[in-house]
Amino acid sequence: MSGSRSVLSGGKAYLYILPILILSGIFLYYSIGFTVYTSFHQWNGIDSQMKYIGLDNYRKLFDDKTYHIALKNNLIFLVCTVFIQAAVGLLLAVLLRAKLFGNGLFKSVFFIPVVMAPVIIAAIFRIIMDTNFGSLNETLRALHLDFLAVSWLGDPKYALMSVIIVNIFQWMGFSMTMYYSGLLAIPDEIYESAKMDGAGFWRTLFRITVPLVGSTTSTLVVLGIVGSLKTFDIVALLTGGGPGRSTEFLTTYVYKKAIDEFNGGMSAAAGVTILVIAIVLAVVQLRLGNRQQNNH
Amino acid sequence: MFTNLRPVNKLVIQAVLILFAVVWLYPLIESVIQSLQINGFDNYLAVIRHPKVDYFRVVFNSLFVAFCSMLIVSLLASLAAYAFAKMQFRFKNVLFYSLVACLAIPATAVMSPLFFTMKSLHLMNTYGSLILPLAAFNAPFMLLILKNYFEGIPNAILEAGMIDGSSSIRLYRQIMLPLGLPAIINVMVLTFIYSWNDYIIPLLFVRKESMYTVTLATQFFTGTTGQTPEMVAQLYAALILMTIPSILIYLFGQRYMQAGLTAGAVKS
Repeated sequence: MSGSRSVLSGGKAYLYILPILILSGIFLYYSIGFTVYTSFHQWNGIDSQMKYIGLDNYRKLFDDKTYHIALKNNLIFLVCTVFIQAAVGLLLAVLLRAKLFGNGLFKSVFFIPVVMAPVIIAAIFRIIMDTNFGSLNETLRALHLDFLAVSWLGDPKYALMSVIIVNIFQWMGFSMTMYYSGLLAIPDEIYESAKMDGAGFWRTLFRITVPLVGSTTSTLVVLGIVGSLKTFDIVALLTGGGPGRSTEFLTTYVYKKAIDEFNGGMSAAAGVTILVIAIVLAVVQLRLGNRQQNNH
Repeated sequence: MFTNLRPVNKLVIQAVLILFAVVWLYPLIESVIQSLQINGFDNYLAVIRHPKVDYFRVVFNSLFVAFCSMLIVSLLASLAAYAFAKMQFRFKNVLFYSLVACLAIPATAVMSPLFFTMKSLHLMNTYGSLILPLAAFNAPFMLLILKNYFEGIPNAILEAGMIDGSSSIRLYRQIMLPLGLPAIINVMVLTFIYSWNDYIIPLLFVRKESMYTVTLATQFFTGTTGQTPEMVAQLYAALILMTIPSILIYLFGQRYMQAGLTAGAVKS
C-alpha cells in the first residue's frame, strides 16, 4: 500500500487496536446494525414493539418530496461551502503572506469563528438577519439598498443561501489558516522568477500558487465533504429546516422523523441512506489517497 | 510573492484585508454593543446569576468534556495507528477499512440506537454520555490522519530500537509519540474544537441543567428569551459570555493550532 514495510509482527498488534475497536463496537457498529434493522420495521421510536414491513420505509422515503429537498440541499451546501471557503481562504492567505501591518490580528479575527460553537454563531445571525429589526437590513436600508434587504431566513428563495453564508463565516478562517501554512512552505525564489517572467498577480495565483497548495486543497475538500454531511446544528438553529421544509438537510430530516413525527422506522431508513453516502465517501477518499501515494 | 511591493499595491492589499476583517468582526461587535443596551453590564450579571443555569459550571462541563474526549481519541487512535502503520498481522486491511469507513458518519444518522445504548448503560445525564460518543465519532478520522503520518516515520529508527531490545510499547512511547507529535497535536486540536462545538450529543443525552454544555446553555437562553428589549439584550450578553471561553482557548492554544492544523493533514 505505501512505501513503508511493516517492521513489527505478532499477535501483540491486536492489543493496540482493541481499545478503539471496543469503543467503535459499542457506539458505531452496534448503532449502525440497529439502524439498519429498524429501517425494515414499523416503529414509533420509543417502545419495544416493532413490526417487520420489508422495504416499505424505503419506498415511502424515496417518494417523499421533503427527502428529495434534503438531498438537494446537502449537495448545494457541500459544493458552495467547499468552493467559496477555499477560494476566499486562499485569497486572504495570499494577501496575509505579504506580511503587512497587523498580520497576526487579521489571522485571529478570521480564525475565531472556527472555535465559536455553530450554536452561538447561528443565534447571533438569527438576530442580525431578522427581516424587520435585524441590523443587516437596517444597514442596507440606511445605504439605500432597500432591494437587498430581503427576508434572509424567512423566504424559501434565500434561506438556504443564508445558511451557506453563515457556514462560510464560521469555517473560512480554517481554510485560510491551512493555506497560510501551506504558502509558507513555498520558496520565495519561485515567485521571484515568475515576476521576472512578467507574470501578474492573478496569473501567479492561478499558475503557481494554486497548483502548489494542491495537497492542502484536497485536505480541505475531504474535511468539507465530511463536515457538510454532518451539518445539523447550524441549520437546525438558523432556520429549523424552514420556512416550510425548504432548508431541510438529511440530518434535520432524520431528527424530525424520529423526534417530532415518532416515525422511528422511516427515520432509520433515512439514516441508512446517510450511512451509505458516508461510507462510500470514506472509501473513495481512501482509494484516491492510496493511488496518489503510489504515484509519488 | 510580495517582495518589493509598490506602495499602491500595499495599500490595496491592506484595504482588502481591512474590508474582510470588518465583515468578520461585525457580528461580534454588534453583539457586544447590543449586550450593553438598557441595563449595561447588569445584563451580564443577570446571566451569571441565572437561577437555573450556572455559567461557570457550564463552561467547566464543556472544557472537561472536550478535554477528556481529546485525550481518549489521541490515545486510542495513536495506539491503533502505530499498529496499522508499523506492524504486520492478519485482517489488517479489513480492520483498518472497517474503522476508517466510519469517519463521515454523523451521530444524527444513528441517534435512536445511541439513545438506547446510553439508557441501558445508565449513562444519561453523565459526563460519560458526552465524552464517550464524542470520542467514538471523532476517532476514525483521527486514526486516518495519524496512520498516514506514522507511515512516514522511517523504519530504520524502529529497527535500531528493536536491536537494542526495546519492547513494542517502549518503541511507541520513545519513538512514535515524539516523532509523531505534530500529527498528534493536529488530532488534539481538531478533536477539541469538534467536541467543544458539538450540539447534537448533549441535546440527545442531557436533560439536567447542571450537566449543560456551552452549546446547550446557549440554546437554553435563545429558546427561553421573549421579545422584550431587556431580554434580547440579556440574550446577547449570554452569547458573549459563552463565546469568551472559546476566545481564551484560542489565544492560549494559538501557537499549537496554527502549526498543528497543517502538520499531518490527510495525505492525498
